[in-house]
Amino acid sequence: MRLGTAGARGRMPAPEATTERAAISLRGVGKDFRGAAGECVALDGVDLDIDAGDFVCLLGQSGCGKSTLLNLIAGLDSPSRGSIDVGGRRVGMMFQDANLFPWLTVRGNIELALRLSGVPAREFGPRVEELLETVRLPRAASMRPHELSGGMRQRVALARTLAQDCSILLMDEPFAALDAITRDAMHDETERIWLERELTIVFVTHNVRESARLGNRVLVMAPDPGRIDSELRIGLQRPRRMEDPGVADRAAELHRRLSERNEP
Amino acid sequence: MSDIDAGRLVGKAAAPARRIRSAGPQGQRAASLGSRVIRRSWPPLLAVIITLLLWEVVYLSGWRPSYVLPDPATVLQRTGEMVASGKFWQALGTTMFRAAAGFGLALGIGTLIGLVVSFSRTLRAAIGSMITGLQTMPSIAWFPFAILLFGLSESAILFVVILGAAPSIANGIISGIDDVPKALIRTASVLGARGLSLYRYVVVPAALPAYLSGLKQGWAFAWRSLMAGELLVIIASKPSLGVQLQFHREFADTAGLMSVMIIILVLGMLIDGVLSRVSNGVRARRGMGPVS
Repeated sequence: MRLGTAGARGRMPAPEATTERAAISLRGVGKDFRGAAGECVALDGVDLDIDAGDFVCLLGQSGCGKSTLLNLIAGLDSPSRGSIDVGGRRVGMMFQDANLFPWLTVRGNIELALRLSGVPAREFGPRVEELLETVRLPRAASMRPHELSGGMRQRVALARTLAQDCSILLMDEPFAALDAITRDAMHDETERIWLERELTIVFVTHNVRESARLGNRVLVMAPDPGRIDSELRIGLQRPRRMEDPGVADRAAELHRRLSERNEP
Repeated sequence: MSDIDAGRLVGKAAAPARRIRSAGPQGQRAASLGSRVIRRSWPPLLAVIITLLLWEVVYLSGWRPSYVLPDPATVLQRTGEMVASGKFWQALGTTMFRAAAGFGLALGIGTLIGLVVSFSRTLRAAIGSMITGLQTMPSIAWFPFAILLFGLSESAILFVVILGAAPSIANGIISGIDDVPKALIRTASVLGARGLSLYRYVVVPAALPAYLSGLKQGWAFAWRSLMAGELLVIIASKPSLGVQLQFHREFADTAGLMSVMIIILVLGMLIDGVLSRVSNGVRARRGMGPVS
C-alpha cells in the first residue's frame, strides 16, 4: 500500500515514490476568501495524496471546505497557499445540479463536450452512442434536458463529463437531490463506471452512509478552518449496497467522528 | 385584447402537442390541430367583437356627429376599399421598406453595441446607463434635431427609428448575458470552454431568450418612431401610411383615418406575433414555458 496517508498538518514530506503514483497530490493547500466580515480561511494546511484509480470520499458538514477543495483540484479556483498537482491528467467534474445546457438536446450536450476536448466531428456519432450506452440511456439522444427526470439528467451529465476522456472525476454531491431509489441506482452505475474506466474519483458528500457505500477511503473534514481531520479506510468488498451491515458499521463510525467534532 | 395573450396560448398549446406527436398516430395530430386553432383564436376574436360592440354603442349614443365618429361598419368598409386601391399598396411599400431598413440597421447596431458592452467592464461603466437612458427618451423628441441634421429626408426618419429601437436590442443582449446562470459558466469551463468558445457555445445561446425579448421591444419602439417620423417628416412624392394619416386628417375624413390606424395596428401586431412565435418556440424548446 501507499506510504503517505492523508492527514493532519505537520506530516512528513511524502517520499518520491508516492508522488509518482499519486494521481492527485496536494501540499499545504489553503484558501482564503475575502468576505464582508473580512478575511475568512476556508481551507488550511491540506496535505493529500490520492492514488490513481482510487475512490475517495470527502465527508463533512457544510462549511468545512469540501466543495472549495474540489474546486481547487478542478482548477476552477486557485489556492491561496500551497500546491496542487494532478500530473497533467484530465479532470472532469459533476455538480449537484446536472447543469445541462437547456438549448441543446442530450446529443448536443455530449457533442459540445467532445468538441471542446478536441474530438473531430466525424467521431461524434459513435462516441455519443457509446457514452449513452455507458450511462444506460441509449434512447435519450434526441431528448431535451427539461424532458428528463433528475436521475436521467445526472446520467447525461455523467456521460458529458466522461466525454472529455478525463481520468480524474470530481463529484460534488452529485446525487444529493435524487430520491433514494434513483440514488442507489446511480451509486451502482458510478461504481461500475469507476471500475470499467479505471477512474480516480473524488466524491464530496455530507451523507455518511453514501461515503461508506462508495469510497475506498473516507476523509472526514472539519471546519474553522476547513481541513482534513481524520481518515477511515472502508476495506469492504465490492459491489456494495447501502444496506450492507459493513457499510452500516463504517457509517456509524464516521457518524461518531463527525458528531465528536460538533461537541462544543 | 392582446397579442401577448395569443402568444401565451401558442406556447401552452405547443407542449402537449409535442407529447401527442411522439406517442400517437397521425390522425390524432390532425384533430388536435383543428381544436388547437379554435382554442387559440376564440379569446382574441371575442375581444375584437366586444371592442366593435362598444364602438357601436358609443356611435349610437350620438356623443359625436357621425361625420366625426363613424360607425364600425362604415370604417371597415372603407378599410376594404382602401386595401383594394393601388395607392395604398404604394404607401404601404414605402412604410414597410423604412420599417425593415430601420429595424434591420437597429438590429445590427444594437447587437454589436450589446455584445461589446457586455464584453468590457469599462465600456459598461461608461455607456451602460446611457443605453437605458436612451431607451426612456421619447423618440419623437429626436425629430427636430434629426430634421436639422438630415433635412426632411429618409435619413432623418431612419436615424430616429434606429435611436428608438437599438437601445432596447442592446439592453436585451446585455441583460441576457448578465443573467446567464453562473452554474452553466462553471460547468462550461470545467468542460474546457474558454474565452471565445465560452461565448460562442454557452454565453450567447444562453442569452438568446433575453435577446429575443429585446428584439420584440425594439420592434415596438421602431414602429412607434416610424409613425411619428412619417407624420413629422413629410416628403413630397413619397406616399406612406403616416402621410395618409395626415392627409385624411386635413380632409376631416375620419373613416379613412381610422382605416389607416387599423392597418397600422394590425401590421404592428403581425410583426410582433412573428417575433413572439420565434421567441416562444425558443423558450418552449428549453422548457422555459411562458411566464404567467
